[in-house]
Amino acid sequence: MNSWRDRINQFSGRTRYVVCRVFLHLAGDQVAPLLGVLNQAALTADEAEGDMQALGEELVMVCQTLLQSEVYWQSAANEGDAFWDEGEAGNFVNELFTDSAQRYLSQPDLSVAASQTTDPLVVPITRNIIVMLTVAYEGEAPELEADLSNMDALKAGFKALVNLHYQNSLRAVQIHFSPAQLGDELTPDQILVNFPELIPL
Amino acid sequence: MKPVMLKGLLTVYASFKPRQFVAFGLVLLLSWTTIACGGGAEPDKTAQGNKTLTQASTPAKSSSAKGATAIADGKYDVQQATYNDGNGEYTLFLLNTPANTPATFRTTALQMAQLTPEEVTAAQKSYLQVKDGQSALHIPQDFKLEYVHNVVEQAQNPQTGQTEPRVVRQESNFWSPFAGAIAGQVVGQVVGNMLFRPQYYMPPRYQQGGGLFGHGGYGNSYSQASSSYRERYNQAPAVERNRTVYRSTQRSNNGFGSSSTRVNPNNSSNQRSTGKGFGSNSLDSSGSSNNSSYRRSPSSGFGSGRSSGFGSRSGGRRR
Repeated sequence: MNSWRDRINQFSGRTRYVVCRVFLHLAGDQVAPLLGVLNQAALTADEAEGDMQALGEELVMVCQTLLQSEVYWQSAANEGDAFWDEGEAGNFVNELFTDSAQRYLSQPDLSVAASQTTDPLVVPITRNIIVMLTVAYEGEAPELEADLSNMDALKAGFKALVNLHYQNSLRAVQIHFSPAQLGDELTPDQILVNFPELIPL
Repeated sequence: MKPVMLKGLLTVYASFKPRQFVAFGLVLLLSWTTIACGGGAEPDKTAQGNKTLTQASTPAKSSSAKGATAIADGKYDVQQATYNDGNGEYTLFLLNTPANTPATFRTTALQMAQLTPEEVTAAQKSYLQVKDGQSALHIPQDFKLEYVHNVVEQAQNPQTGQTEPRVVRQESNFWSPFAGAIAGQVVGQVVGNMLFRPQYYMPPRYQQGGGLFGHGGYGNSYSQASSSYRERYNQAPAVERNRTVYRSTQRSNNGFGSSSTRVNPNNSSNQRSTGKGFGSNSLDSSGSSNNSSYRRSPSSGFGSGRSSGFGSRSGGRRR
């Protein structure tokens, strides 16, 4: 490892930036209500025009909701890296946004919908939800900088995310989720194709 | 056949004892030089570390700033100071700089302190003190920094769907960090010698017309000053708001009544389900000068499913 460089940087008082992303796949008959929470967060973030403080609060809310629905946790994955350069961290955050965003359709495919015979009274309920949380923070959070592919580590990780907000050390927050709304479905096949890194909990 | 060969080898082995000795000697010599070099390199490394220390002890804010200029340690007279709230950059016009140093000094991490009464009686003018790469501006109570205010509106880039701050126009004003008492405002209950110790100060909330007096927050570090500002105004400092880029994958025209545009889950051509994403980034990604040469080292990083420290999608990321 480059612990030498780390130690020198730490010693010289440079700011350490950590960028990390956590995937969580929830499965079950009762997961669909989570979409309400997530969409509410999206709406609030839009209204606040992306104010970091507001986004941090939404992140806390999402984390708490996820912690409460722990029975539905199916699989998870995480990744991340530490940086000593703000620009590099910022670039990585942007890259993760693009990577997260290409795993779902942000715009429904209209050509498919047009040919569809719709029955407005029946709404399919999704049995799968994937939440992707990306944060960048200053300093260290050992709970997040580890392998989060087991239940306890992941729980500790979400709690650490909540704490980071209250420590005012968050520098970037991203929340992605799929499917987008009630009535859309995320099938196991789509998960396999688009989220290959998920590890069963 | 085999025993014969072995025997032959042994005899060769035995007959070339001097050569073996030479080989041993070489091995010894090599290992000794390696150790010696390693030992010799270590003080070198610490020296390098010390060098980074002096260069980097200004908080990362300045080290990553685009326009930050380096300046040798010392004391410089300051003629004029400007603060830009678009990027949080201070520009100082220095007097009596050495021949090869430019007269303007830019930094985003500038500590400020008031001149002590002793200095005032000694008719000391405002000056910049640079020590270990940390710059501190010492100014009299009535010193006015020029304050460049960026009128910013959040505009959505129609092509990327990204909400980003856009500077509409700039206004010029002045900011007098230590003149709170003069203006009769109760800003910053800083007492006693705290005033004379260099600290980070945030400008107060901008108001049109009239100058800015006092400060909006202070602290021993930039982040302390920033959170102190948040406590007072319940919003992020202008600099940080201007830096935050909001990005979202959702289109605003896509809300209610979109039930008819639902994706058919039975259609096998759909590789992806729908989704939404949004996020804010207050990291200054344009500040990195070595963008192109940057590679994430394979040994760094953490996460699930990585054995040697690279991602679970070890081949997946294109860099």
